[in-house]
Amino acid sequence: MTTFTIAEQAEQLSRRRARMLPFLAVIYLTQQFVFFAAAPADPERALDYVKIGAWVVLSALLLAALTTKGFWLQRKEVRDMIDDEGTRAHRVAALGWGFVMAILSAIALFFLSILEPISAREAIHVIVSLGIAAAIVRFAMLERRAMRDA
Amino acid sequence: MREKLANRLKEKRGELGLTQAALAEAVGVTRKTVNTVENGVFVPSTLLALKLAGALGVPVEAIFSISTE
Repeated sequence: MTTFTIAEQAEQLSRRRARMLPFLAVIYLTQQFVFFAAAPADPERALDYVKIGAWVVLSALLLAALTTKGFWLQRKEVRDMIDDEGTRAHRVAALGWGFVMAILSAIALFFLSILEPISAREAIHVIVSLGIAAAIVRFAMLERRAMRDA
Repeated sequence: MREKLANRLKEKRGELGLTQAALAEAVGVTRKTVNTVENGVFVPSTLLALKLAGALGVPVEAIFSISTE
């Protein structure tokens, strides 16, 4: 059985995360587009509560993965190594992007609401989704760039 | 005039025959962080700069300096 050092494990997991996150962001955003595209006239169906519940859970998970060290089932030493200075800097930059995207979405929705009524629930859904997706994509881009040209 | 942090990390590491991975492990960071410092993409904290210098056995000024563009 091959045994990996803490540094090797951290390297592998960081690489895996950087590869996986953009796909997660695409899946997450696609789900939200499908949700809005298939929005029924009566939004109070049980199925919609399930969909909204799934969105809340997925959003919370992605936010937790982004704002904590992640890899909750790994050893503390490995998690500490993954969450090194470079990664923390990438996270701060990514969260900044997420914040800007959330504010821009809110501004866009404000003007859109003049043309078409938007419920608070819908507005929150859009703002949170775009904010989280932007932060995740930016984080993955920075991590991938850091691994390049080594 | 724009100031930036120049570094000779790659050169010093090469002199000692260390890989990025070995240096990263010595200072407790991932290889990608060492890579970004070497490429000038990431400005390390004072703590990491001192650790890198310590691992290479040189004063921090031998690795990092201020350059103007």
